[in-house]
Amino acid sequence: MNKLLILFSLLLISIAPFFGQIDINLEKIFDSNSVDYKVFFDLRVPRVVLAFFVGAILALSGLVFQTIFRNPMSTPFTLGVASGATLFTAIGIIVGLSIFISLFAFVGAVLTIVILFAIASKFKTYETSSLLLVGIALSFFYSASLMIVFFLSDLQENYEIVRFTMGSLDVVGFSEVYAAVGAGVFLFTLIHLYRNHLKLLLTSHDFAYLKGLDVKKTNYILLLGVSVAVGVSVSITGPIGFVGLIIPHILKNIMHQSAEKLIFPIFFYGGLFLVLCDVLARNLGTSSDVPIGVITAFLGTPFFIYLIISRKRQS
Amino acid sequence: MKLHLENYSTQILKNISLEIEKKNLIILGSNGAGKTTLAKVLSGIIPTSQIAFEEPKTKFINYIPAKLEIFDDYLNARELLELSLLYSQKKVDEVLALLEITHLKEKPCKFLSSGESQLLLLASAILHNAKYTILDEPTSNLDPKKVKMVYEILKTEEYLQNRIIITHNLNFAYKLGEDIVYMQEGEISFLGSNEQFFSDENLYKLFGSSVKKVDDNIVINL
Repeated sequence: MNKLLILFSLLLISIAPFFGQIDINLEKIFDSNSVDYKVFFDLRVPRVVLAFFVGAILALSGLVFQTIFRNPMSTPFTLGVASGATLFTAIGIIVGLSIFISLFAFVGAVLTIVILFAIASKFKTYETSSLLLVGIALSFFYSASLMIVFFLSDLQENYEIVRFTMGSLDVVGFSEVYAAVGAGVFLFTLIHLYRNHLKLLLTSHDFAYLKGLDVKKTNYILLLGVSVAVGVSVSITGPIGFVGLIIPHILKNIMHQSAEKLIFPIFFYGGLFLVLCDVLARNLGTSSDVPIGVITAFLGTPFFIYLIISRKRQS
Repeated sequence: MKLHLENYSTQILKNISLEIEKKNLIILGSNGAGKTTLAKVLSGIIPTSQIAFEEPKTKFINYIPAKLEIFDDYLNARELLELSLLYSQKKVDEVLALLEITHLKEKPCKFLSSGESQLLLLASAILHNAKYTILDEPTSNLDPKKVKMVYEILKTEEYLQNRIIITHNLNFAYKLGEDIVYMQEGEISFLGSNEQFFSDENLYKLFGSSVKKVDDNIVINL
């Protein structure tokens, strides 16, 4: 059953590039002079691959953040990592360095986690709830700063910033896609290597500590790894919310297994989810693509609420 | 190596000195006297430089809380015990059978009753098998039959090496027969043999008429 589902998902992913505003003729995609070839290999395939890996990164990051902060609502977005990336991108746009936008976003994400660590080192005792609160406060601070950046920008810059914050999977060619693939593979490998640590974190901090785990160090390594991957992904696509929140929950509810067994499923189906959302975004018949964040929220929310209600009924 | 704490003071604990070497101990005291805090200091959960641990620390000391705390919704009993299996030669199934909880093996820890999770915690302690194990109220949620079963297990050396047991069950403490530490308002007010502690005189001094010895059992006089 499970294998069948994965095969079916792979099939869905491989036909995803054929859907879009321009119809693709299957025979022409191997003719390198045709428009179909260009659309297929320069636009559609890179886009699907990008969507898959960004979705996978966001979903897996959600799982890691929820485990570390022991809070089902935390994602890199609640902790300010993504808003840090957005703010820095906006700053990059108004200082006229649009070509380095990816770099700005990446620095914003990683800098945020470094600031969080620096603040956490001042805590008398290490507790993740304080770290979460600081992250949320930081996130509000970034939002306020973003308002200032908006205020200082002209109309054109304003438009660019708004478009970035909406999130978009538009890419041409593979250069940025490789970065996302690299970040995805890196994150998956890291989490897979740390799966036993993750399992101990699923119990309690005291229990993990008594079994010999350096909880603080493990958390820092995982948080840094996630931030790097999320930084790369946000720098390419802008912030895409919600995937990191709902995918781990949905899979836990369906598969009824402890989180450390869900590393691969969450990675894989997180990717699939964003690919499908993107197919929908490209095919709603609007003059331009609907922002991907809108689709993830519109699709995810009802299903998510349905699952929460049905779970409450069971228990 | 012995477990040794000297002149330890915080907001809760006052001037605690304690030395435990290859023996069992029972810690008694009223609610809020600082028993759990002391256990957390002894096990390193509350860090202090006034205590030294033999390395590896996991082999030296383990602490079993009164309540099982688990974050994940679906982590099951077997998985928790596999994480606990460190220095014991015993197998997970063996310990489950010993505590008569084999039927809980594949159940998520979150769905267990308070008594069931208490037995699971004891199973985890046996599998961990540290040199010193601190058990925080190991019988507080158990039915009388299970209390008796746990008593038989904690009475022998066979399952746990050195046992430090925090309890409110005076009869349980009396029958185990180990030395007693009695805590009051963050201080150790009594440290001595079981016999001394459970003398009629001392019992009356500490508990007034609410506790009595009847037929060689300590009972609460209601």
